[in-house]
Amino acid sequence: MALLELVDVAKSFGSLKAVDGVSFSVEAGEIFGIAGPNGSGKSTLFNVITGIPFGPDRGMIRFDGEEIGGLSGNRIARRGLARTFQRETSFDGLTVFENALMGLSFGATKMPAAQAHEATAEALTFVGIDFASFGRLAGELSVYQRKCLMLATAIAMKPRMLLLDEPASSLTKPEIEASVELIRRIAGRGITILLIEHVLTFLMSLSQHLLVLNQGSVLAMGAPRSVIEDPRVIEAYLGTRRAA
Amino acid sequence: MSAVDTSTPSAVLPKAVPLTPGRVSWQREALALVVGFALLALLPLVITDSYSRHVLIMIFIYGVVASNWDLSLGYGGVFNFGHLALFGIGVYAYSLLTKLAEMNPWIALVVSGLIAVVAAVAVTVPILRLKGIYIILVTFGFAQLVMQVILSQSDYTGGTQGIVRIPTVTWFDHNMVRDAKFAYFYIALAMLGASTVFLRALVRSRTGISIVALRDNEEYAVSRGISLARQRLITLAASAFFTGIAGAFYAAYQRNASIEVFGMSLATIILSMVLLGGTSTIYGAIIASFVLTVFSESMADFGAWRPIITALLIIVVMLVYPSGIMGMLKSASRWMTRSRNG
Repeated sequence: MALLELVDVAKSFGSLKAVDGVSFSVEAGEIFGIAGPNGSGKSTLFNVITGIPFGPDRGMIRFDGEEIGGLSGNRIARRGLARTFQRETSFDGLTVFENALMGLSFGATKMPAAQAHEATAEALTFVGIDFASFGRLAGELSVYQRKCLMLATAIAMKPRMLLLDEPASSLTKPEIEASVELIRRIAGRGITILLIEHVLTFLMSLSQHLLVLNQGSVLAMGAPRSVIEDPRVIEAYLGTRRAA
Repeated sequence: MSAVDTSTPSAVLPKAVPLTPGRVSWQREALALVVGFALLALLPLVITDSYSRHVLIMIFIYGVVASNWDLSLGYGGVFNFGHLALFGIGVYAYSLLTKLAEMNPWIALVVSGLIAVVAAVAVTVPILRLKGIYIILVTFGFAQLVMQVILSQSDYTGGTQGIVRIPTVTWFDHNMVRDAKFAYFYIALAMLGASTVFLRALVRSRTGISIVALRDNEEYAVSRGISLARQRLITLAASAFFTGIAGAFYAAYQRNASIEVFGMSLATIILSMVLLGGTSTIYGAIIASFVLTVFSESMADFGAWRPIITALLIIVVMLVYPSGIMGMLKSASRWMTRSRNG
């Protein structure tokens, strides 16, 4: 059974159809990529799935067999569906440790203080944040460190599924390579990953299935190699060749 | 941490990670709190005149109200401009409970705090989904509404005349009037101590940290499972309890209730204490209540210039140290540490 299933999901802002009748499903344990040019509706799709800050106008979103379309964002998160944001995001007034503790304290799994403390430290070190940085304010970290911290807060929630919104944006080449490795390790923990990225090479190196959005609709879906060779995808990314 | 360090965890994690990395441990904070309040408890031994003790009692009351406002405004980022209305509700709740319902004053103190909590919950519901200026408008409107209700019920509240000869608290056979405010001093100090311990325990807890998380980034906090409605309700309700008790104690101490507690004058003084002390610290608001009250009292000879000089002082401090007195103390502490280490 699919872990996440979307059927005819739509979201409009006035006359703009940001997401227009999108349907797909993600199997447990896989890395599922979503590509598309800027403005194709990728982030809006994440927003309606997670209910942050809004849910869908129509359609069905089912997570682990249960409808989540009408639930509030925090309830969806507590069911085990965590997300990251395109921009590096943190609770700047809190320490690195407190940031991760927040993920753990209100996530899917409740645990006593001592155990929570240990699990928080484990989530931070897993993403490569060393002990010396635990007491620093999150706002003092670099872009890459804050992206890692965002992943640590998500992992601390013990999610079943993680939605990653352009994890490679604003990163240098070595940092992107490290991110690819980190996402593989997260998937290795048994967490299903839904990944948005407009850098196709990044998606190709990670995804088992690929979906391409264009103007809010599904343009192509399937095995990554066949999807990127689809003429409609090439046209959406590169445009049409002008006749000689 | 290197820029792209993705090493596996067990190799870098020490056996004992401190409970609150980057923060003062609760043991050290508790020790400092005990020492601080023990020193305050010794003050009546050296300050024996009733006027100076009265000033200290007012400082303690202001300290409670300001530090509780820091919880909602500083930690929660909720612009609750109805905070002083919660204090006013405490004043009138105590007055009516003791005078009309003839309730035991000690019980009335606590019940007044609970009534303020109920009022805070009532005002929280309409602001659950609001932000910024709209919260200010609703909470300010709430304060005006409470004042108008009190004015309209003049048969019970005395309207603009207020309530006089309010029953006060008693302590066995101790004479509360002829002890140069000795007993009132310790009741006010105990109230400040209980409030401070409550607030610090709350802000150090996971609930307290989640309140800051919501302030820093609402959508991100919600994505981590934190309920905006629940935590905002907790923030406002928690900030109301001791504010209501402070209002009740104020009524018991002054033995009169006046509509002036809803005025902008008192709200401005208390807000100045929160900002001057440095938000999101609790202690800053308490220290600022000392500094501002003592400074204002020492300027008594300046007559009409007193509030002008006080306002100028606040502006200068805020310009030089936007993080207030606590920011100033932290900078001094860092400078001393650097000097010691050469």
